[in-house]
Amino acid sequence: MPERTTIDLLQGTLGVLILKSLSWGPMHGYGIARWIEQIAAQDLLIEEGSLYPALHRLEARGLVTSHWGVSETNRRVKTYRLTEQGRQQLRAETHSWDRFSAAVSRVLQARRAGG
Amino acid sequence: MDDVSDPKPERRFWKPDVRRDVDDELAFHIEERAREFATAGMDDDAAADAARRRFGPVDTIAAACRHIDEHAIREKRRIDMWGDLRQDLRYAVRSLAKSRAFSLVALVTLALGIGANAAIFSVIYAVLLRPLPLHQPNRLVFIWSSTDAFPRSTLTPGRLVDYREQLTSVSAVAGISHLSVNLTGTGDPERLNASSVSSNFFDVLAVAPLLGDPFHGGRSDDRDVVLSYALWNRRFAADRGIVGREITINGSSRRVVAVMPADFDWPSITARGSSNFGSPELWLPPARHEIPRMPREDANQDLRADRSAGYLRAVARLRDGVTLQQAQGEAEAVARRLAHQYGRTDNGLGAVVQPLREQFFGFVQEPLFVLVASVIFVLAIACANAASLLLGRASARRREIAVRLALGASRGRVIRQLLAESTVLALGGAALGLLFAWWAQSSVIAMAPEGILRLESARLDLPVLGFTSAVAILTGIMFGIVPAWQASAGGVNQDLADGGGRGSAGPRASRTRDGLVVLQICAALVLLVGAGLLLRSFASLSRVDTGIEMRNLLAFDIILSGPRARSGAMQMAFYDDLLRSIRSIPGVKAAGAAVTLPIGGDDFGATYAVEGRPEPKPSEEPTAGYQIVTPGYFGTMGMKIVEGRDFTDGDTAEAPEIVMVNQTLARRAWPGEDPVGRRLRIGRNPSAPWQTVIGVVTDIRHLGPATAPRPELYEVHTQSPFSFMAFVVRTEGDPYSTVGAIRHEIARLDPGLPMSGIRTMEEHLSRSLARPRFLSALTASFGGLALVLAVVGIYGLIGYTVTQRTREIAIRSALGAQRADVLKLVLSKALILAGVGVLLGTLLALSLTQLLSGFLFGVTPGDPWTFAAVGALLIVCAVVSALIPAIRATHIDSTIALRT
Repeated sequence: MPERTTIDLLQGTLGVLILKSLSWGPMHGYGIARWIEQIAAQDLLIEEGSLYPALHRLEARGLVTSHWGVSETNRRVKTYRLTEQGRQQLRAETHSWDRFSAAVSRVLQARRAGG
Repeated sequence: MDDVSDPKPERRFWKPDVRRDVDDELAFHIEERAREFATAGMDDDAAADAARRRFGPVDTIAAACRHIDEHAIREKRRIDMWGDLRQDLRYAVRSLAKSRAFSLVALVTLALGIGANAAIFSVIYAVLLRPLPLHQPNRLVFIWSSTDAFPRSTLTPGRLVDYREQLTSVSAVAGISHLSVNLTGTGDPERLNASSVSSNFFDVLAVAPLLGDPFHGGRSDDRDVVLSYALWNRRFAADRGIVGREITINGSSRRVVAVMPADFDWPSITARGSSNFGSPELWLPPARHEIPRMPREDANQDLRADRSAGYLRAVARLRDGVTLQQAQGEAEAVARRLAHQYGRTDNGLGAVVQPLREQFFGFVQEPLFVLVASVIFVLAIACANAASLLLGRASARRREIAVRLALGASRGRVIRQLLAESTVLALGGAALGLLFAWWAQSSVIAMAPEGILRLESARLDLPVLGFTSAVAILTGIMFGIVPAWQASAGGVNQDLADGGGRGSAGPRASRTRDGLVVLQICAALVLLVGAGLLLRSFASLSRVDTGIEMRNLLAFDIILSGPRARSGAMQMAFYDDLLRSIRSIPGVKAAGAAVTLPIGGDDFGATYAVEGRPEPKPSEEPTAGYQIVTPGYFGTMGMKIVEGRDFTDGDTAEAPEIVMVNQTLARRAWPGEDPVGRRLRIGRNPSAPWQTVIGVVTDIRHLGPATAPRPELYEVHTQSPFSFMAFVVRTEGDPYSTVGAIRHEIARLDPGLPMSGIRTMEEHLSRSLARPRFLSALTASFGGLALVLAVVGIYGLIGYTVTQRTREIAIRSALGAQRADVLKLVLSKALILAGVGVLLGTLLALSLTQLLSGFLFGVTPGDPWTFAAVGALLIVCAVVSALIPAIRATHIDSTIALRT
């Protein structure tokens, strides 16, 4: 069902970004926000807070796990880690996204038929 | 990218605190961002502000996160629980399937225990617990008069009027009288139980008719009649066009105005509180002034001021907010006022307000509770059996459990696993038990005496299934918990070191099993003693001399209709002709007739006054049974004339009014004197004529074998004609062989007149013993079941003991013990256990059987013969069931047993 995947991908863009960020290693929420900001710079402006519901949803779906620890500044820190299931999901979505963006750019760059 | 070293993990003891976690997580983010801004040169406040703005609405985001987390936690918990349970159950089924013999015995045992409970519960639910189809039935009460001698007695019309006018704690009062009426016209004539009721009767009950519209308060036509569902079905083929049709009752035409619904089970209302002559099948409006009809009188009398004829029952609805106690208090106050106001008639009469439920079901509660107690005992025995089996099995599985514990399973987990096994067993037993219950329930209904409302509606329906599953799960936990606890307690190392599934069971498990067997024998003894007492009292009831020669006595009813039913002279002539023809039939020795046959027929009662005696207080007036008979009736019944003479054909309507009495009445009224020639007056009416006693007959037990003879008055039918008579015919051989000839004689006199209600007096007697037979048969069945289960329990235990002690027995034989010694060794254990069980059971039974005393007849609750017989039976059974394993023990080959 290619269409379905595409729509999911659009709505879950933030989710994919989070999965991608965690594919480098475990991170806390602030770290994920910083990563997205640095990699995507100004191209993808997100409201930082909306990161967290997305994270918790991914956790509920079993794509990431978390555990609580204590930081050097002696604060409770919640750290997220990609699960095997999350890694597979990331691969699948990356693939769909590639196909989708290729298709969209083909459409946008097409010349008028027969013209 | 920040360097995120994996922080030190935090220890968690209990479930996560979602709110705190989310708050901490978000706060951390905002603070980190603020720190970054501050590092870049902002002052602290501006940095914090900017960080918050950048983050967005914190509260909304926190709420969203919390929601997601809580949902996820719930979901996870559910999945974990079901997963564990599924795993436990799968494992339980697998391991039970591996030991077939064990599972089969346990299943059958539990099926019997649970099935018996399901069957009895289905009856209790149908009769007692199911809601009544009346509006707020708990607000309905009956109002009775009370005297010192009779805690409940019927009301007089005068009192009904007083209660109706004076009681404020009830919103309405409806009077009820019970009649027998003749239904003729369509099909065979039939004598029916009927009720004449105040016109507001159906309003007070607030019951909706199935068809038509019954009469209502203040509006009733004298010709209206309301049919019961049963009568409508039986006589009128459930014809939906019946409303508005005319039917003939007591020779006059009546119009059907309504049919009541099937679940309107309204019984006959008796002061003794047990339905003894069936539910009314049709309802008639009251006579004048809202007073229900008197059974024998003309409809057109004004009875409002009658304070002597007690024939009325009253049902009333409590006003909202009024308690039963308040109503009772008010009724007593009214009764006190009336006793003062009408000193001559109402002095000494109290009032009793009784809840409807008690009136309807009070008399079945006790027997049903006896049955409940019986099945609970059966279930306890079954549980003990299953627990004992599980203990045996658990000790055989010690190694398996020890391994599981050693591999890190917690004790709770192992207990849960073992409980899953026992619960699976119990549920399987329940499923099997429902089959047993289905069979048992129909037998219970078939055996039950008549007059238990709603009994036939007992089903294995949803509430029963729910009850059965609840009992099964509870049972599974009950018989599983001790074995599971003990099995999981063993020292791991020792069990593994023991190395064997054959290891000793440990003293604790064997002691528990011994205790369970003692418990079984104890419970079986209580049940069997109860059953024994009930059987003995049934036997003595069956042997009671009723004063009637029961053998070869045929009875049948003749109901006159048409013009003949309305003329006393024609009735008499017909009965006399018929009796003469019947007596001439070959094989007939004697024949007679009575309006009220003893044991199961109608019963009339009357007060009487003895001539020349001071008038007693109304509450102390002597009462007697009141019968109307033909000449020849006493001889046919086998009753003797002890003084004076019998009724003869010469005692006509025109002759002076006469009466006969039985010995009990003669003794009470004229102690030590000759009653013949004395006079008495029947009823309270002072203007009624005095009647001369012409003879005394022997006593009979008119109300059945259980009730001692009471005073009886007999009038001759010529002086009190009736359109209904029950005939009795003494035959030489089988009573039924004369039916053809009698029918022929009736047809010769009146071709349209049928013989109805044909039965023998022995059948009547048997029906009157239905209740004690029912109770004794059922408790005996449960007692038998208990005995079988207990025997299985003893057999299992002794067999297991022998297996456990194989080595010991082998050593003993090797050392020269004889077979007899081995036998003695094994049997003595069975004897000791049975002895202790019998002793404890006897002590328990001695107190419990006191509760049965109301059901016993001719035998005391502590009857030594019953106790001794049951004790001996149990000990013999214990020894016999131990014999097979004991004999097996004597065959143990010491060379083989010791080598392995």
